[in-house]
Amino acid sequence: MAKMTMNRYKPCGTIDHGIGRRQFMGEFLMGMGAIAGTSLFSHPIGASEVTQRGKSVVVVYLNGGISQFESWDPKTDLETGGPFKSIPTSVPGIHISELLPYTAQQMHHMALIRSISTDLDDHGLANNIVRSGRTTRSATEYPELGAVVSKGLERADFPLPGHITTMVGGSGGRANNAAYLGPQYASVAIGAEKGGIVNTQLPDGMTVTADSRRHDWRRFVNGRHRSKVQSAEMDAYTQCYEQALRLMEKRELFDITREAESVQEAYGKTEFGKQLLLARRLVEAEVPFIEIQHGGWDFHHNNFEFHLHYVADFDRPFAHFIGDLHQRGLLERTLVIVMTEFGRTPKINAGYGRDHYPKAWSIALAGCGIQHGAVIGKTDPKGIEVTDRKVDHRHLFHTYLRAVGIDSSGEFDIAGRRFPIADPAFGPIKELLA
Amino acid sequence: MTTKFDPRAAKPISDWEHHSKLLCCRVDPTGTYVVAGAIDYTIQRWEIATGKKTSLAAHDNWVRTLGFSPDGNTLYSGAYDGRWIAWDITSETPQPIRVIQAHAGWVRGLAVSYDGKQIATCGNDKRVKAWSANDGQLLREMVGHSNIPYCLQFVPNNYDLVSGDIVGNIHQWRGEDGTLVRSFTASEIFFHIGDIAPFGGIIHLSFSPDGKKLTACGLHKCSNAPAGNRRAVALSMDWTTGEKRPKQECLKKDIDATMWRVAYHPDGTMIGNVAKDIGFWNPDAEDAFHLVETPSDIFDLDLHPNQIDLYTAHFDGHVRCHRLGSSA
Repeated sequence: MAKMTMNRYKPCGTIDHGIGRRQFMGEFLMGMGAIAGTSLFSHPIGASEVTQRGKSVVVVYLNGGISQFESWDPKTDLETGGPFKSIPTSVPGIHISELLPYTAQQMHHMALIRSISTDLDDHGLANNIVRSGRTTRSATEYPELGAVVSKGLERADFPLPGHITTMVGGSGGRANNAAYLGPQYASVAIGAEKGGIVNTQLPDGMTVTADSRRHDWRRFVNGRHRSKVQSAEMDAYTQCYEQALRLMEKRELFDITREAESVQEAYGKTEFGKQLLLARRLVEAEVPFIEIQHGGWDFHHNNFEFHLHYVADFDRPFAHFIGDLHQRGLLERTLVIVMTEFGRTPKINAGYGRDHYPKAWSIALAGCGIQHGAVIGKTDPKGIEVTDRKVDHRHLFHTYLRAVGIDSSGEFDIAGRRFPIADPAFGPIKELLA
Repeated sequence: MTTKFDPRAAKPISDWEHHSKLLCCRVDPTGTYVVAGAIDYTIQRWEIATGKKTSLAAHDNWVRTLGFSPDGNTLYSGAYDGRWIAWDITSETPQPIRVIQAHAGWVRGLAVSYDGKQIATCGNDKRVKAWSANDGQLLREMVGHSNIPYCLQFVPNNYDLVSGDIVGNIHQWRGEDGTLVRSFTASEIFFHIGDIAPFGGIIHLSFSPDGKKLTACGLHKCSNAPAGNRRAVALSMDWTTGEKRPKQECLKKDIDATMWRVAYHPDGTMIGNVAKDIGFWNPDAEDAFHLVETPSDIFDLDLHPNQIDLYTAHFDGHVRCHRLGSSA
């Protein structure tokens, strides 16, 4: 058993942006081809309804690769450490970059993993493995974490999509990230702006009664057809319509301007702050999986100047998000993952940038199912090698699922074919789990 | 035998090495020493006549900016530890005379007044400050930059200051009371990535030898900031009217670069760095008339008081000197 550096804390037991209904339906149906011939009634084996109830996972994805030196694993080495110092956190003995003063004060709700070692330094490939928890070398495509969590935590009566990517400044659609689980578990991109979801109000001249009559007719025709012909495509099509209707009824959930001005100010009126505020509302609504993107961390050039600004943009809203979840009692049923695809090189290049570095990097977690105040693993003083408790994306994937009560050693049954939920050759970081 | 300034005849005459990357360099006004600031928190002093190296250690972070008193007896350094330090630079083992905690966050720029009586600094706290060189007392504090000021200079023969920031604004501050006199914008050399981080801006400011022109240098033609796709540039303004002159860049070589420093030869030739090259521009000429290639990226440069020898501080830890002329 690897040694864990740890201070244990008691764990938790306008309408201009968003998704257009037509686009939602269209992209959903486009994705249907991928599941032709498979049953939609796959299910996770071994999941415990009791431990999962109301759980959420929020991924804050720092796209491009945040530097571990300028965030979770600062170093004092003069050639590799960079100009930023480390600061103490709310957990005695844990220091993080001085660029994260607000997050440092939430460390007693968090844990760090400083010993991640992967082997892909291409953004797309690395992104794929950290999201899927697999190293794909076969023809099989694996569902991403959001799809697995959405499936694993799904409830029959839940009115919203289980896998939501928040966005600012655009309309959304279904992504193709659920693989064999089927498109109903793929992410839906929904914006955080005034008015909630765009194009979800009835057109002028259409009454609620008339609209309801239209849907009754659709259901009748669908039902009659389904009594003669059954297909996955048709079921998904029907499910898509019904989910779109439920989303229309819940449009106000996505309207963050319904929050008090003081709350909006506290999160910050940046794109990131708005997304976090929407994420909190979605956690309150018990959406199983929410992803927030904070993009552009690929600083091959001017790394320190850019981190100065980017980490500041992240730090205060993120720390407020964690504190707010805690104060509202939501953190004890929410796992927050600050994810990225790899770290950045110890070597500082001639543009004062850092390049891609999958060999030794870090992530942070907060919330439920983990040991708060834990630090897993270690790198050497220059940050070049992992020196203790090396883990990779496959261990992480198991750990995320276990933290929210999904048995990652279980399997999905897809039309009689069994797929392990996570890579069966690996397991969770047990000492991190609560 | 005299040497005539002729960049086309440039040849390397010295090359001194330190084990850490260098960010800045200056030659003292007597021409005795060249000093360089490093990312190992030290300042390195080389005696020009002998190449003897001495290390000065008192900062606690990267040493970013340097300046000399007019008599050459005192070196001033500014670092990412937020401090400026005065050093008795002529002693065998220079020690700090004065250590001033100047800014919250990094010190970005430092300048010494024409008479050596005032020191000015700017830093990450967006402040510009003027200090008494004699006792380190804060004389005035200037607030008005909307984002981090990178650099500053005293107006020639004056206590007025000009400071340039990371978002392309240049402010002139009155020497008597620190009030804002006027502002220029140089948005041509400023970019923004993703509503989060500024890129470029006023990296350095220099006055032309006749004091009639203020030159800002940095970068432009940015196509991918995180990847560093940009081109080096200098943008000069008429000091009286603020009228902008044509941008000066390096069209001879299409390379990613930031112009970290512009220095002027007394004949008006502008000297700037373009990645590993030293570039030379005739007044207001759009393209460099000559480039001198060096082995490593240049982050600062300074002319020796003989106005012939040019010292450069490099990413590979070397300070190099090129003699810009031929014997006549």
